Amino acid sequence: MASAASEEAVKAAKVLMVGAGGIGCELLKTLALTGFSDIHLIDLDTIEVSNLNRQFLFRKSHVGQSKAHVARDAVLKFRPKINISSYHANVKDAQFNVDFFKQFNVVLNGLDNLDARRHVNRLCLAAEVPLVESGTTGFLGQVTVHVKGKTECYECQPKPVPKSYPVCTITSTPSKFVHCIVWAKDLLFAKLFGDKNQDNDLNVHSKDGSSSKSDVFERDVDEDLDQYARRIYDHVFGYNIEVALDNEETWKNRRRPTPVYIRDTLPEETVQQNGTSRECNNGHEEPSAMASLGFRNPQEIWTLADNSRVFLETLKLFFEKRQKEIGNLIFDKDDQLAVELVTSAANIRAHSFGIPLHSLFEAKGVAGNIVHAVATTNAMIAGLIVIEAVKVLQGDYKNYRMTYCLEHAKRKMLLMPVEPFEPNESCYVCSETPLLLDVNTKTTKLREVIDKIIKSKLGMNLPLVMIGSTLVFEDGDGLEEDEAANYALNLEKVLAELPAPVINGTKLTVEDFQQELSCSINIKHREEFDEEKEPDGMVLSGWSAPVEKQVTSNGGKLAASSSSAHDTVGDASANPGTKRKLDEVLESKENCDASSSAQVIEDDDDTIMLDEDPTLLKKKRSQ
Amino acid sequence: MAAAAVAVAEPKTKYDRQLRIWGDQGQAALEKASICLLNSGPTGTEALKNLVLGGIGSVTVVDGSKVEPSDLGNNFLCNSRVNKECLGQSRAQSVCSFLQELNDAVKVKYVEESPGTMIDTNPSFFSQFTVVIATQLPESSLLKLDGICRAADIVLVAARSYGLTGLVRVSVKEHCVIESKPDHFLDDLRLHNPWTELKQFAKSIDICDKDPVVHKHTPYIVILVRLAEKWADAHDGKLPSTRQEKREFKDLIRAHMLNVDEENYKEAVESSYKVSVTPGISTEIRQIIDDSSSEVNLSSSDFWVLVAALKEFIANEGNGDLPLEGTIPDMTSQTEYYVSLQKIYQAKAETDCLAMEHRVKNILKRIGRHPDSISRAYIKTFCKNARKLRVCRYRSMEEEFNAPVISEVQKYFADEDSCFAMNFYILLRAVDRLAANYSRLPGIFDSEIDEDVPRLKVAAVSVLSDMGLNGTSLSEDLVTEVCRFAGAEIHPVAAFIGGVASQEVIKLVTKQFVPLMGTFIFNGIDLKSQVLAL
Ligand SMILES: [Zn+2]
Repeated sequence: MASAASEEAVKAAKVLMVGAGGIGCELLKTLALTGFSDIHLIDLDTIEVSNLNRQFLFRKSHVGQSKAHVARDAVLKFRPKINISSYHANVKDAQFNVDFFKQFNVVLNGLDNLDARRHVNRLCLAAEVPLVESGTTGFLGQVTVHVKGKTECYECQPKPVPKSYPVCTITSTPSKFVHCIVWAKDLLFAKLFGDKNQDNDLNVHSKDGSSSKSDVFERDVDEDLDQYARRIYDHVFGYNIEVALDNEETWKNRRRPTPVYIRDTLPEETVQQNGTSRECNNGHEEPSAMASLGFRNPQEIWTLADNSRVFLETLKLFFEKRQKEIGNLIFDKDDQLAVELVTSAANIRAHSFGIPLHSLFEAKGVAGNIVHAVATTNAMIAGLIVIEAVKVLQGDYKNYRMTYCLEHAKRKMLLMPVEPFEPNESCYVCSETPLLLDVNTKTTKLREVIDKIIKSKLGMNLPLVMIGSTLVFEDGDGLEEDEAANYALNLEKVLAELPAPVINGTKLTVEDFQQELSCSINIKHREEFDEEKEPDGMVLSGWSAPVEKQVTSNGGKLAASSSSAHDTVGDASANPGTKRKLDEVLESKENCDASSSAQVIEDDDDTIMLDEDPTLLKKKRSQ
Repeated sequence: MAAAAVAVAEPKTKYDRQLRIWGDQGQAALEKASICLLNSGPTGTEALKNLVLGGIGSVTVVDGSKVEPSDLGNNFLCNSRVNKECLGQSRAQSVCSFLQELNDAVKVKYVEESPGTMIDTNPSFFSQFTVVIATQLPESSLLKLDGICRAADIVLVAARSYGLTGLVRVSVKEHCVIESKPDHFLDDLRLHNPWTELKQFAKSIDICDKDPVVHKHTPYIVILVRLAEKWADAHDGKLPSTRQEKREFKDLIRAHMLNVDEENYKEAVESSYKVSVTPGISTEIRQIIDDSSSEVNLSSSDFWVLVAALKEFIANEGNGDLPLEGTIPDMTSQTEYYVSLQKIYQAKAETDCLAMEHRVKNILKRIGRHPDSISRAYIKTFCKNARKLRVCRYRSMEEEFNAPVISEVQKYFADEDSCFAMNFYILLRAVDRLAANYSRLPGIFDSEIDEDVPRLKVAAVSVLSDMGLNGTSLSEDLVTEVCRFAGAEIHPVAAFIGGVASQEVIKLVTKQFVPLMGTFIFNGIDLKSQVLAL
């Protein structure tokens, strides 16, 4: 690239690309056309229609196929002589271990979620392979370089995590539209069409055991479909609210919700009338309640009656057209019928609780945490990744840059290059600093520590837990039966009663062999936890705790905070002391993963930005 | 009916992610636009690829060259065939067959003709387009093209990748933006100057109500309107303005809390500064209103007719203020209160908009146009965005090249950040001069690099002296570097520059966001970029 030395470096390089989505397609093309000739590509996803406005290696006919394979084939068509190996697989799979990573000169991430990014970061650290990270949101983008010992690792700085909501807010006291969406998506949709064995808090309010004796959501074989849909409607929007209202304590300081029954919302329509449009939905078209009912505009806000019609229709369509999937469906933002069900259910619930209703387009954005995405930014960012990768290959670390691409040229600059930072000495991933865990050792089970802390907060995939020299838990295949049984037993024990008791002052060692990551956690026993602020009942400190996005319901505060953010952006170029702030400002708009009890975040193909309620925050780009 | 609904809904799915950025209006504008690309090298192809993916109406590629082996290395042509078969084929045709595959909704055409010849012999060809993207054109052709485009009111976007550097320059006489979508903007709440209905509504709620449910669900707008009035009563009708007063005002708000965790009161404290905003009209909007274009006639654009109406509105119904935006942010509130507030703001916005509409009709009549010739939707969007209007005017390339603003240029040379950009700018122009003399770019023969460096330097000095900048020195390193680039259009830079160019086209076509106001220079060595207003 413009010099013989760089051309040599490019030709000789073996690179790993993780992700073949928005950035990935551009990146693979740019690598191939820059002269890279040994490229390995991992992506788990298959192609969706909504990818086609920017993932230019894919065509309509490829929908449903592996992104990695299709991208490989497409690029080989115009560069037939280079080697591209594609893996339709999860980068967290065991085959992609440290040895696998060691064969590469550089790893390039075009990923869509924090979880995978952290995993790749650890493997790159362990394998001592430089990593070039990237992300885009709308017109914003960034490229950063991470080289062990020379720059900070991807996890040296806190990453924003999605807002999680207390379960009771979702199940009984929603106050914002997003609460209704989470309820509709994670509770109602999961209950109706998801895995029946999964725990679900939907009926948390049953006053006695009566409703749980048989599952009300179960449809009897001979139950009329219309009858069933109406029964479900009345149960979730009527009966459940009535039950909740009985709990006077809850409503002392709150507006009481209104139960909604089908006889009130659609008094005119008989069961028969509701079933009229069935034949419209014949053949190969994807079933859609909007199509059946003749609703055309996804940006219009439906009335309560229309929402009720859509709700009944979607339920029926699921049973009529997609019966086979019931029982193992997971909400997908690109599944039209699922989005229709969630929108209508969230709106009916919103009505009940006096929350303004929203259009399908808006609801889909909230439910899917949909990222704005456009081809231009991905193309630009891919160009920058390759320029950075070439520097890495030449070991030109004095010129490494972390580059932020802005939407509006600030101080006449569209790009904001910043010199990389030194590794953070207290980073638990790339340094050996121990962590501290406040926990009630007498009531907390090992399972909770592993799920809520080790897996979800520390991002370990297959953890192992040791207390002194006693191994109390190990994950993964290949365990002896008695070992596995023993660990399973330990999981259900409270910390203080483990074979090696965990009490105040105990030090835990946790390791993930695949990530070659090991860290120590010092235990501090504590009995009281604030339910609202410390919902896990444990507090992990001494690490770069992800910052929860400060997005409040108050637009004014948002405007104020974003204006100060922009001052910081402007100042950063002039004043090196504020560089870190710039990074934080820009990081905070960056993508995140899922880690909440009630909210499951769907991954898009580029980067994920999380807001409490995107529809209420039109200006969220500036966050 | 159902089939029709599906047909309407289907294409949207593909554009779902981008509709969330520029909306249906923006998408419709893109679908109506026709783009002409000059030269289909990597930079041009990249730019078009992005636009075709986004569903632009039509593209026309003008390129007279044949596919050469070097194209196969850095362009993604000839998608479905063996590369070699494309050699010798028309490059425009090759690129078009690839582009067409990306999106069958886009009309893709090509003209096998060299852009230079087209500019020289068929200038009227360009008047059919919305935007012309000129890539890798030398200065002389660009100058002519700019003249043609300006005369026909066509937007020109020039883009060039050159080794590790690149440039994007927008040129159009005037580009008026209603939806500039700034990153942050204060809500238009008028707390400092509430109108009658808002005041009455605020009065109807007792902010001293001891019922905790009512108290903690009183929206902060009401709290602030009431307390601002109370403050003004105690301070000669003035609102808090000094730091000390603002602090005291916050204390006043806190004093009305029944207990510390009332969210609405916290919001009121956080938003208390909204009471103290400077009333009236910002300098930017003032400039637009005072612009001579606001004295409209039959040939004025709709935008300026609206500005003329706006000027009258401010002086009359507006009482010195712009039309109200009409939306309120989310806030802790009882739904009934919130909905009432929403309605009050909406109603005022509608009244303002009606007044504007009335003025627009009168102006249209006055200048001899049909009073209904500007749509209500347009007026509404204009009113909603009245605080955010932007007018971008670009100097012609002729002016830029022949009459540079010396003081600005010297400022750029003196500034550490923009000095590199200025160097590249001069060197890229010098490259064209050298090429005109030697019929080749500097540095393309390794054997002649040593001679080309001083040649390029001489050319650069002549550019500087033509600009009236005798004695300004360039970085020796950069001269050598640019020589080494040898005019290579390397792909990462082409992807970046093409990306920037297409992004500018999107902004210009959708008339949303503010395009780059000057010559954008990219430095791929350390990833710096600058916009030079030349
Ligand atoms: Zn680290």
